[in-house]
Amino acid sequence: MNDERDKLLDNLFSALRTEAPGTAAAEEYFEARVMALIEERSTGQALVSLWSWRLIPWFALIVVMIGIGSAIYDPVRSLDMFASFANGYEEYQATNLLAGG
Amino acid sequence: MDVIDRESSDEQLIRAVVAGNNGAFVHLVSRYKRKVFALASRFARDHDELDDICQDVFIKVYENLGKFRVEAPFEHWLSRVAVRTCYDALRSRKKERGNVPLESAHVAVADTSVEERRVAAEARALLEWGLARLRPEERLVITLLELEEKSILDIAGLTGWSQSNVKVRAFRARQKLKQLLEKHYER
Repeated sequence: MNDERDKLLDNLFSALRTEAPGTAAAEEYFEARVMALIEERSTGQALVSLWSWRLIPWFALIVVMIGIGSAIYDPVRSLDMFASFANGYEEYQATNLLAGG
Repeated sequence: MDVIDRESSDEQLIRAVVAGNNGAFVHLVSRYKRKVFALASRFARDHDELDDICQDVFIKVYENLGKFRVEAPFEHWLSRVAVRTCYDALRSRKKERGNVPLESAHVAVADTSVEERRVAAEARALLEWGLARLRPEERLVITLLELEEKSILDIAGLTGWSQSNVKVRAFRARQKLKQLLEKHYER
């Protein structure tokens, strides 16, 4: 039984082995298709890298402007450690007074 | 500088491609496309998938050509890439495993006698039906062993699996196919 199945399987493989797959139609212009794909991929990659290089000066400009802005902006600093709480409290009192609380 | 044409050696063509000459790659593709198509047609379900697999193979080759050591035979390296790509294609379709109808026959048979063609078409349909029910690694091994007539050593080299692993997978694949055929003929 097992021998029969082995023989059957071998016959199937043998029949298929002798068959030359007809790939001639699929092979036509294959080189052109592959080269077009390669071209497309390399153009896409080149565009990304080109744009990232082109955008670098603009990013640098933004960083410089932020640097200048933070250097120019100099808020009045209080020496009182609790000034923010105190100021907040004063505002709270003022609001209560004006609102009649 | 070497003149690159279709007569140039693999080594010359590879050096030219790595140096940026894409025209040399066209010669390499022309030289080896038949071999890649023949292998991929054992695994592809239709012409579209066959074309996709072959394109994938040559794009991988193009992108990794810089890493290829020229001392080694290019054909062997290409075969490894092709086998790996076919295996990836088999794995990517595991959801569809077992859904192949028995009547399906995917690639046209080359011109042979009518009787031979009929027998080959029947064998293809039956084997395709059985192979579709195997695990990707089993299908890969049994196809390379029985249809491409590669040795265990060759298959181990092509797949990167150990020889004992290849033997076990081939044995399992054969057992499964025999069981499937038995079930098929019992019906």
